[in-house]
Amino acid sequence: MIKKLCCILGVAGLLFSVAACGKKTADTGDTYSGKKVKAGFIYVGPIGDFGWTYAHEISRKELIAKYPWLETIYVENIPEGDSDRVIDRLVNEEKCDIIFATSFGYMDSTINAGKKYPDKIFMHCAGYKREKNVGTYFAELYQAYYLNGLMAGALSKTDRIGYVAAHPIPEVIRHINAFAIGVKEVNPSAKVYVKWLFSWYDPAKAREAAESLIAQGCDTLAFEEDSVAVIEVGQSHTFKGHQIYTFSHYSPMQKFGPDSVVSGQLVNWTGMYDYILNNVNEGKWTNEDMWWRLKEKAVALGGEHGEQINKKFVPVLQNLKIKNKDFGNISVYDLVMKRLKQMEQGPDVFDPFTGPVKDQKGIVRIKTGNCADHDMLWTMDWFAENVEGKLPESGK
Amino acid sequence: MDEKTFLVQQILVRTFAAGTPLLLGTLGEIYSERSGILNLGIEGMMAAGAVAAFATASVTGSPWCGVVAGIVVGGLLALLHAFATVTLKANQIVSGLALTMLGLGISGLWGKRYVGVPLINKILPVRLPVLSNIPILGNAVFNQDLLFYGSVVLGVIMWFILYKTKVGIIIRSVGENPEAADSLGISVWKVRYVCVITGGIFAGMAGSYLSLVYISSWVEGMTGGRGWIVIALTVFSLWNPKRAFLGAYVFGGIYVLQYILQSYGVSPNLLLMLPYIATLAALLAAVKFSKKKRISPPLSLGVPFDRGR
Repeated sequence: MIKKLCCILGVAGLLFSVAACGKKTADTGDTYSGKKVKAGFIYVGPIGDFGWTYAHEISRKELIAKYPWLETIYVENIPEGDSDRVIDRLVNEEKCDIIFATSFGYMDSTINAGKKYPDKIFMHCAGYKREKNVGTYFAELYQAYYLNGLMAGALSKTDRIGYVAAHPIPEVIRHINAFAIGVKEVNPSAKVYVKWLFSWYDPAKAREAAESLIAQGCDTLAFEEDSVAVIEVGQSHTFKGHQIYTFSHYSPMQKFGPDSVVSGQLVNWTGMYDYILNNVNEGKWTNEDMWWRLKEKAVALGGEHGEQINKKFVPVLQNLKIKNKDFGNISVYDLVMKRLKQMEQGPDVFDPFTGPVKDQKGIVRIKTGNCADHDMLWTMDWFAENVEGKLPESGK
Repeated sequence: MDEKTFLVQQILVRTFAAGTPLLLGTLGEIYSERSGILNLGIEGMMAAGAVAAFATASVTGSPWCGVVAGIVVGGLLALLHAFATVTLKANQIVSGLALTMLGLGISGLWGKRYVGVPLINKILPVRLPVLSNIPILGNAVFNQDLLFYGSVVLGVIMWFILYKTKVGIIIRSVGENPEAADSLGISVWKVRYVCVITGGIFAGMAGSYLSLVYISSWVEGMTGGRGWIVIALTVFSLWNPKRAFLGAYVFGGIYVLQYILQSYGVSPNLLLMLPYIATLAALLAAVKFSKKKRISPPLSLGVPFDRGR
């Protein structure tokens, strides 16, 4: 009897969880009668996560409003092991012309699907494998992280800067290193302390990690995780009279820490999706590797749209004067703006990963005068010399 | 304040915050089990309470309305368990497990639209005058939020009721020997209903604390096994609210140490297992303790009371 009950309950629970995830919505431009492009979006998280998936979803909505020839469908909360089934469904039943697989973990399924459906187009976000009909695209944040590092290094009074990090994969390591390189440029004695969460979205863990960094003397925090937890921790300490500087990540989070958020990085996928979908519509699509940075405006500096640095901290940064190897005596504010302008012109004008860059053991990883190339940035598995903490051995 | 003092103080602040939901949950479960009803549904009631609190706080803009909603939902779910186990005399383990699944399911479905939504109005800390000037402890204990103070006061009251009042004797006797209690004119089912619902109310409050104070956001599965830890802590506390304080704050400290210890080169993967390893250790310790002190679980725990028998 008990066994039977357990069985029934188990099945009911399973059905429940299946029903709960994978909601679908179709948006159609009803009045348009010409040739249409149907795009399917596969999301790893919920569209309301205020981070990664939310950012993609905003762009999807902007584009359906913009183009009458565009029809889209999205599927959210798709675990990375479950994407084959969803791709099949989007191709066979929903008849999508192009599918956007928006998580690194969908890589192999997307490549396989590309082979299985050679007449469809696939775009995989954040991956490095391509096929004739599978391209890749990514909005890269490391330059903005570097700019945040400049401000963090200058503002920190304890010379301890905390970093709450999601997973030890090259993307995150690259961001930590860019941030640390920025810190070192203005404050060679400051160290960056890293704590790992092993989760992309977990406000409880992020909060506890941020608190532990503050407990260990950090007064400035940056992070790469999709909730506003770190910002809230910074704001609550600042509210209690202990100033903590934080840097927002991915979405405009400044409103959750108006006295704590100095700046941050903002992503904008709309330009990329616009470009890709227009190419598909005009039959010009190629399987290129799109890697857009500040120059292409896929990324912006700031914790709020249209506000590169929190107005509250602008005078503070203008009064902080440092000596810089390229610009001589300069205020931190001007330095950030100059570097931003340089990087907006392109990575050939200035790139944070310009040698000499040493790792934690003192080994020169990027030689003087050299720049890190694409491959090095995409396979990075070492920490810059001013980062404290060991890199966990296993990846995601 | 030097670095070491600050570190200790901050660890304590977080320990008390992380321990509060565990304390609340354990206090409730102690009452439920003392009356003879095992409720394995804490995890579900906590999750449902958390989402109810968060949703209500988001909609009304008042975190205190949220706390009330969390309590109501926790209590209602417990009422289901009471109905199944007291009135229908169903198997308590099965009903409790079903409650956990139900609670987690409801919370996942209801909370979907609140995932990632930040909480606008928070329950802010209240600094108690004079007391908060005590070094270290002042900031750790007397500069917390009202729910934390409430949980401590409730803990003391719950201990007092259980051990110093006639009501406490009635509850304990129902859990030990319901036949005897019944023959003395005590309504066993009434006592059990009240105690189980009290357990639900406390679990709902624990959930509210999680989503409104400790994490201040809602995410599916955010109870993260705390409901199960509560059940272990109930055993560890030997069904005594006084010892529940000890257990809850020790476990709160373990959640905090997970991240403090990362800086000392301990593998983060290993640290993520800490609360669960500690649960096993606590259960072993409880077994040893109960033998030494000759304390056994309430004798009729898990046994349905059938008056006609």
